[in-house]
Amino acid sequence: MLAVFKKELKSYFLSPIGYIAIGTFLVVFSLIFYLTTISIGSYDMGNLYFNTARYGLLIIIPLISMRMFAEERKTGTEQLLLTSPRSIVGIVLGKFLAAATLVLIILAFSLVYFIILCFFSKPNLVPTLVAIFGFLLMAMAAISAGMFISSITENQIVAAILTIVLVFLPELTGMFPSINLMNSYQKFPAGLISATEVVSLLAYMVMFILFTIIIMQRRKSVK
Amino acid sequence: MIEVKNVTKKYANITAVNNISFSVNDGEIIGFLGPNGAGKTTTMNMITGFIEPTEGQIIVNGYDILKKSKKAKKQIGYMPEGVPLYTELTVKEFINYMAELKLLKGEEKKKSVEKTIEETGLSDVKNKLIRNLSRGYKQRTSLAGALVGNPDVIILDEPTVGLDPKQITEIRSLIKELGKNHTVILSSHILSEVSQICERVIIINNGKIVAIDTPENLEKKTKEKNTLIVTVEDPKGNMESLKEKVEEIEEIKLLKNNEDNTKQYAITSNNQVDLRKILFEVLPKEEITIFELKKNEATLEEAFIKLIDSNDDEPQIIEEKSKEDKKKENKEKKQKEKEEKRKNKENKKEKGGKK
Repeated sequence: MLAVFKKELKSYFLSPIGYIAIGTFLVVFSLIFYLTTISIGSYDMGNLYFNTARYGLLIIIPLISMRMFAEERKTGTEQLLLTSPRSIVGIVLGKFLAAATLVLIILAFSLVYFIILCFFSKPNLVPTLVAIFGFLLMAMAAISAGMFISSITENQIVAAILTIVLVFLPELTGMFPSINLMNSYQKFPAGLISATEVVSLLAYMVMFILFTIIIMQRRKSVK
Repeated sequence: MIEVKNVTKKYANITAVNNISFSVNDGEIIGFLGPNGAGKTTTMNMITGFIEPTEGQIIVNGYDILKKSKKAKKQIGYMPEGVPLYTELTVKEFINYMAELKLLKGEEKKKSVEKTIEETGLSDVKNKLIRNLSRGYKQRTSLAGALVGNPDVIILDEPTVGLDPKQITEIRSLIKELGKNHTVILSSHILSEVSQICERVIIINNGKIVAIDTPENLEKKTKEKNTLIVTVEDPKGNMESLKEKVEEIEEIKLLKNNEDNTKQYAITSNNQVDLRKILFEVLPKEEITIFELKKNEATLEEAFIKLIDSNDDEPQIIEEKSKEDKKKENKEKKQKEKEEKRKNKENKKEKGGKK
């Protein structure tokens, strides 16, 4: 797992993807920071993360998750992975954690805005950290869904579009509220850790990780 | 030691590999030979555990590839078809990653990576991005990925495709070297390559094994008759009546009239008699001067085509083919025939030119 994790994380930064993801996040985050915080004199960081989750993740998540398995399948490097003695569970988790770590790195950048706010007022650190924690959980859930979709296609564009449909369409259109991840990111921005939200995000995440593992294991007999 | 027992692989309605069995002994270099789409890659993918056979069992060094896949896969180094590589990594990073995937750690990993880079001649480019390498170096990097960790069994899918002649000889000698203390399976559709490197050849067509033997035996088996090619100067035209004078001769055929008034004949006898000695005695008496006399050896190429053609007569292997597939095949066949004709012409030209 560790070998795959290290290589995957490195690959994000050897290709433009990692930088584009960070850049996109910062553009969206800055814009919302200006609109919802600076311009109206508020220091509510939770609102900032809530709106970024709503609009920013739409771009970042497909960008991170589309290549996870689709690229390997297309270039054939999948054969190197699957004929190695590493277990499929290890490979899937390695890739997943690498993507999650990338999100964590991105979120670390967002703390800069907290520091900026400190010049003007006294924002609360703990609620902000809770908002970040929830943001990470939600991003991980979205990534697991994106990873699953990436494992069923070899076309990255298709993977990206399907990820948007599966993860963000419920929020954009208001349909299928039961699979709407934003519904589980309501209390985190206010600095509250709710068991319901944590459990539902974790369940969503575990479900799609399991789906991915099953798909990869089935590949052997279907291919 | 690899044992493949009654392995079948079916896709929706096509049988890619049909009930094949063979075993490869330790330290043996074995070659998979067959036309495109014969099932070579599918078989290799099954041995390496990348795909699961529909039926049958594959055992690598005593471990079942499905039931004890971790242990079995540890014994195998695989270089897949088409040289898949992580092009964003450098050569060293890639080999290092492959070593990690093969569960190597610490000092052992470091040593193995260094040794493999040395062996495959990649020292000069080890810090270059794979993306920027030439085809030959990419191929070697892929080979290095298979070799790192010194696995007992090395499986190479068309290792010399796309290389220049010098690189081909280098890779071949490397494979031969590996064969001294590894079990090697390689696939190819280049016959001379297989006959040079491999100790045994498995000829496979339409998903079935057509023959398993040494290259020499395969050549012998398909050679039915003993044919000599003679070029002679025959001013009195005595060659035509030679058949009556020498009873061992079964047939004399004029192949061509050369510009320098010599003629080339194909003389056939039955298999047991070597005509060469007789001809050297008889022809001068008939006032025929021998310019050239050579044995017409059946090449592995001929053996291959013969075996494949005879196998083509049994069409039940691919169960249900759509019409489109059939059309495609016919097209391919025609193209192949054309190509062969062209090659033959070129060969003849070359031979003529040499003289």
